[in-house]
Amino acid sequence: MSQADMAMHHPGGVMTEPAFAVPARKMAIWLFIIADAATFAACLVAYGFLRNGSPSWPTPFKFSPTVINAMVMTFILITSSLTMLLGVRAGKAGDRAAAFRFTVITAVAGIVFALLHLREWMGMIHEGVTLFHNPWGTALFGASFFSITGLHLTHVVGGVVALLVVGGRYKAGRMNADHLEVVGLYWHFVDLVWMFVVPFVYLLNVAR
Amino acid sequence: MVDAPDVLQTEPAAQYTDSLGKYIVIYLCILALAGVQFVFAYSGVHAGGRFARMFLVALAEGGLALLFFMHLWAEKRGFLLFVLVFTGFVLAAMQYGWTDSNRMERGVPNSQPQIGSVR
Amino acid sequence: MHDTSAHAVHQHAAPTSFIRKYVFSLDHKVIGKQYYGLALLAVLTGMVLSWLMRLHLGWTDLKIPGLHLLSASGAPGDVMTPEYYLQLMTMHGTIMVFFVLTTAPFAAFGNYFLPIQVGAEDMPFPRFNMMSFWVTFTAFLVLISSFFFGDGPTLAGWTQYAPLSAVGAVAGPGQGTGEVLWASSIAIFCVGQLLGSLNFITTTLDMRTKGMSLWRLPLTAWGWFITSVMGLTAFAVLMPACILLILDHVAGTSFFVASNLVLNDQLQPHSGGSTLLWQHLFWFFGHPEVYIAIVPGMGVVSHILVANMRRPMLSHRVIVYSMGALAVLSYMVYGHHMFVSGMNPFSSLVFSFPTLVITIPSTILVLIWIGSLYGSKLRINTASLFALGFISMFISGGVSGFFLAQPSIDIMLHATYFVVGHFHLVMAVAAIFGIFAGTYFWYPKVTGRMMNETLGKIHFWLTFVGAYCIFMPFHYLGIAGNVRRYQAFVDDYLVRLIPLHRFITVAALCTGAVQLIFLYNLFYSRFRGEEAPLNPWQATSLEWSTPSSPPPFDNFGGRHVVVYHDPYQYGIEGSTDDYVMQDSPAQIQSVRDEK
Repeated sequence: MSQADMAMHHPGGVMTEPAFAVPARKMAIWLFIIADAATFAACLVAYGFLRNGSPSWPTPFKFSPTVINAMVMTFILITSSLTMLLGVRAGKAGDRAAAFRFTVITAVAGIVFALLHLREWMGMIHEGVTLFHNPWGTALFGASFFSITGLHLTHVVGGVVALLVVGGRYKAGRMNADHLEVVGLYWHFVDLVWMFVVPFVYLLNVAR
Repeated sequence: MVDAPDVLQTEPAAQYTDSLGKYIVIYLCILALAGVQFVFAYSGVHAGGRFARMFLVALAEGGLALLFFMHLWAEKRGFLLFVLVFTGFVLAAMQYGWTDSNRMERGVPNSQPQIGSVR
Repeated sequence: MHDTSAHAVHQHAAPTSFIRKYVFSLDHKVIGKQYYGLALLAVLTGMVLSWLMRLHLGWTDLKIPGLHLLSASGAPGDVMTPEYYLQLMTMHGTIMVFFVLTTAPFAAFGNYFLPIQVGAEDMPFPRFNMMSFWVTFTAFLVLISSFFFGDGPTLAGWTQYAPLSAVGAVAGPGQGTGEVLWASSIAIFCVGQLLGSLNFITTTLDMRTKGMSLWRLPLTAWGWFITSVMGLTAFAVLMPACILLILDHVAGTSFFVASNLVLNDQLQPHSGGSTLLWQHLFWFFGHPEVYIAIVPGMGVVSHILVANMRRPMLSHRVIVYSMGALAVLSYMVYGHHMFVSGMNPFSSLVFSFPTLVITIPSTILVLIWIGSLYGSKLRINTASLFALGFISMFISGGVSGFFLAQPSIDIMLHATYFVVGHFHLVMAVAAIFGIFAGTYFWYPKVTGRMMNETLGKIHFWLTFVGAYCIFMPFHYLGIAGNVRRYQAFVDDYLVRLIPLHRFITVAALCTGAVQLIFLYNLFYSRFRGEEAPLNPWQATSLEWSTPSSPPPFDNFGGRHVVVYHDPYQYGIEGSTDDYVMQDSPAQIQSVRDEK
């Protein structure tokens, strides 16, 4: 076994205890999450900066369909976080079949989320909202909406791919529960970001 | 020969052995908080107030997810502090620009934010 | 533990095919050398660009033979147009900051020596490491390709201020395709640095061998670690900023362009954005970037000085704390680049305070270096000379920082050659001296041969004098009112400065030519240099405990190193040598044990 292997686990006697007792792979995903949080924060700050400074920011989102859709998407994403958690928990307990099942359920939830999101996008594009134009006023409304939700959607799609790849390898015995935990941390983070995207990008822009 | 210090053997902190019930309670709390955000979206206050309320609720939601779904609470306290302080500091350092945002409309130095106006 | 990690399989046997060994290698040592090669290529490109700029500044109508081959529109009849001057200047800045100052001291040396210094076989994610280099290399190719598309590279300066950078081709040559290529290149670069940072931090935290507690890490390792923590979040903010900039170009958004902008008598189709937003996002990255360039050099210089002083620094820990304080403060001071940008004047005051505070850890570092040097019998070799040169440049450039940190003075000095002189000395030349010091110091370990000391000393003295000849007059030019980015000097007060500009140009050409001595030494010594002993400097850290030079594939030849001592045990009394290696099991009374 190599040192890199050991750093992924908890070596005793051969290497120094990892700082914070967090093994390398988990440390890496946490660091990625910190960096990604900075990326999302930069986008949200840019959006807030421009929205706050615009004299007429449109608030076009109607309860139906947009807000209802956002509710459903939020429910799906938070629930998928729970199923992810159950998957990792089963994996840590050694229940491979259950862990795989929950991972696939999570991925399916991610796919449904992405499809709902795309449907919403298509609807908005149909209404004439694009990156550089919208029927209601400041063009930046569409630009910031599509960039921020697009960045999030990219993360969801990436997460679904990661879930399927890691889930498949886990089922085949080529990866273990630690890998599931890492992809799970990423998935929870995507969920966490959505908790901020919904109020800022959707709910502040509802028609009242 | 001097023995090398600092060699300990510990198991990973986050064990994922919490009961199913605990996870479900947290899940329901997060769902409820998410629901509260939707209520706030239609509450009577002005945009600034709605933003502040929803932001606080989002922090609570995110905190629950971070501490319990992502098991940060179960890790060593040092790691919890490392993640929260590092991330919090970097995100806080990003907030210098807001006064310039407030000035975009009126252009004068030291403009006050227009919290009262509904936009 | 029976799990076969995808990352670790390669560890057992060295690759044999040419591609896996030298091109797509997973070995951190090869990747470090690749980064060094990239930095060398980039620094030569950047230096040639600076020569062209300097020639144009000295003799505005000078024909530079063959320049029209690089750009027919930018240099008709081999005479540089004003726009092309700005394009070359932008590329000089971008290449130097991103592909030299970030890659060489951090990615090149760090990749090679960080795993060895912590006693590891490799970094925990060798595939990410390999991708990190190739992504960075791709970014370099994308940037260079902008010379050959459309009307050349962007002219907006390495800071790419909006709206110039955001409105597209109407803003001038290179603002269409060239600009999009620039932003794409930097966005790609950010991905490479993210992957690198992940590896550096996990290596430092999780790959330390038995006995290597955090306080036993050499100062170089601390420098790279602190740098990677800064890079982790700084580049993560630059990347979305670049993507928004690209969207302004290709998707018609207006993030960084305000309403009612008229250019060339055309009302721009943008509205609602903010030019200051770009500056806030850019400098949020930009200021940590300054420390990303210099902190690894601080670590390298401390490491080299300690080995040549034969005694530890006055305080190992205060050096680490000071570098850490620089990292923290670097996130709080970025607005000092924006004092005259139209930013809220009150913010200037807010930014000015931490900017002055950041001089405290910098000063502490300098005082520790000088205090430790005082009374030591410093071994004079090329590496230690360049380390001294680093301190000299850092002080000279740092002192002008006190002036610039104050908004009231900066209003006069902003965007003049004073600023250019300041940052060239404090971050560019100082960091380059750190790179030179590291090269002369570690060359025997990387190649197994010594570099020529006589040539090295000649190289040092000519470079040292040359750098001051180039950059000291910049301060005078700035105080005389010479604004940067002017491509010709026609006003009365500027015409009188032309002789000084010519002097600087000659100095720059000569100092550049002197680097040929370094290049010759670098390549000649590789094949004909004197064979190096395993530990030519009698140094203590783990890179000198490897069984061969260069170290074998797994760094320690199958031996599992165990660390028993603090990194810098020099000047030990009662020992046969005056030093004890970190992995030596000998019981010693530490000179100045930090524990």
